[in-house]
Amino acid sequence: MMRRIGAFAQRNAQEILRDALSYIFCLGFPLVMLVIMTLVDQSIPPEAGMTIFRIDNLSGGIAIFGQMFVMLFTAISVARDRSGAFLLRLFSSPMTPMDFILGYMLPMLVIALLQAGLLLVFSLGVSLLTGTALSLGGVLLSVLPLTPSAVFFIGLGLLFGTLCNDKAAPGLCSIIISLGAFLGSIWFDAQTTGGVLLDISRCLPFLYCTASVRAAMQLRLTWEALWLPLLIVTCSAALTALLAAVAFRWRMRAELA
Amino acid sequence: MNAIEIRGLTKRFGEKTAVNSLDLQVPAGEMLALLGVNGAGKTTTIRMLSCLSVPTAGECFVCGHSCRTEPTEVKRRIGLSPQETAVAENLTVRENLLFMAQVYGLERAEAVRRAEETIILMGLEEVAKSRAKTLSGGWKRRLSIAMALIGRPEVIFLDEPTLGLDVLARRDMWRVIRSLKGRMTILLTTHYMEEAEALADRIAVMLNGRLVAVGPLAELEEKTGRKGLEEVFVALAEGGGDQ
Repeated sequence: MMRRIGAFAQRNAQEILRDALSYIFCLGFPLVMLVIMTLVDQSIPPEAGMTIFRIDNLSGGIAIFGQMFVMLFTAISVARDRSGAFLLRLFSSPMTPMDFILGYMLPMLVIALLQAGLLLVFSLGVSLLTGTALSLGGVLLSVLPLTPSAVFFIGLGLLFGTLCNDKAAPGLCSIIISLGAFLGSIWFDAQTTGGVLLDISRCLPFLYCTASVRAAMQLRLTWEALWLPLLIVTCSAALTALLAAVAFRWRMRAELA
Repeated sequence: MNAIEIRGLTKRFGEKTAVNSLDLQVPAGEMLALLGVNGAGKTTTIRMLSCLSVPTAGECFVCGHSCRTEPTEVKRRIGLSPQETAVAENLTVRENLLFMAQVYGLERAEAVRRAEETIILMGLEEVAKSRAKTLSGGWKRRLSIAMALIGRPEVIFLDEPTLGLDVLARRDMWRVIRSLKGRMTILLTTHYMEEAEALADRIAVMLNGRLVAVGPLAELEEKTGRKGLEEVFVALAEGGGDQ
């Protein structure tokens, strides 16, 4: 079983890593946004009291923004495999549903963590250039909340790729990326807006993904700042992964009926 | 011993009956061509034999194992080359083969050895380092068959292996398929008469989901009183599948 999972995981990683668009969207675009938003931060006068684009806030948000593109590429990968005869061939081989699910999720988790590592190293560089403090301990600790959030987004990608065809999946993911960035408080502070928008944000996991990474980055290790959001993200990740696994098994059975 | 045993196999999709009470036996080592026009039920039959579709009624066995109750045992013993080209586009030819070898449980060193053997067997040396997406239709189809062979199956299903290929690529594919004869049981579906005539030991003719005739070409010619497979097929079709 491990051999089959390993082989399928390697194949999926190779398919993603050999596609130039993966680098442009998963790495290039978040890095460009990091640079642009840092420049925006430099242009905001200190008396405005706006800290959302300060590097210790921005890097966590950008890391979550990047993971949303990992969701997109997971969905595309699954939906594209389903649209052709490749999965059909594998369905007639000894591969089991669990081999498929883990084979899709594990390489994407590694890619998401590598992406987070590169974005965080780049953020450290930006903090040194701009003279803004970014603690190395905070950067290292932020990997902790970034792991369940990666599972959450990969689970969403697997779910969308399983339920949608290869034309609908990217569109749906684009909507989630826009909504997630908006409701996840990546480009503005949801706490300052209040009202219905904040209520909606609090009902969805995106806000807690960003909040937990920012808290870790700033070494705010309280229950409210880090551990509660981290617990919510972890539960959301487990639920999403479970839903995706159930959906994939159901789809596989339906296609083999 | 029969490698494939089909008894009363039926598949319905709502009101439509795609395969109707099919009875067929294929002895081990034989190449049988399942011949029929589009929609005759050839691919549906292959799907049921490959455990990709559950029969509505009847039963099929591959190497003595039931497709319905022992799919894992069946899947270990078969190779499938689907009608559409089923390859990993961003992987090279060698990587595609290595991947499939590992899917069939081979350790890496053994998988590498098996991939190299299959590359030579299928004449894929010149494109071994090329990514699948850069290959022509003929090379892709050859890779697809190679991927079906790498697990050393006892039975291989080739679903329309030359569909969409030009005449030269088709003849080249025939040479490849001929080289497999005797090594394993081969069930080939096709709607090209000359293909079935050129390759198969026996020919099974399907019309509207029913098996209307099965046997060597000479036997079918004798049965219908016509010469050549095309004439035989027309005679069987005009007979409404009653013969």
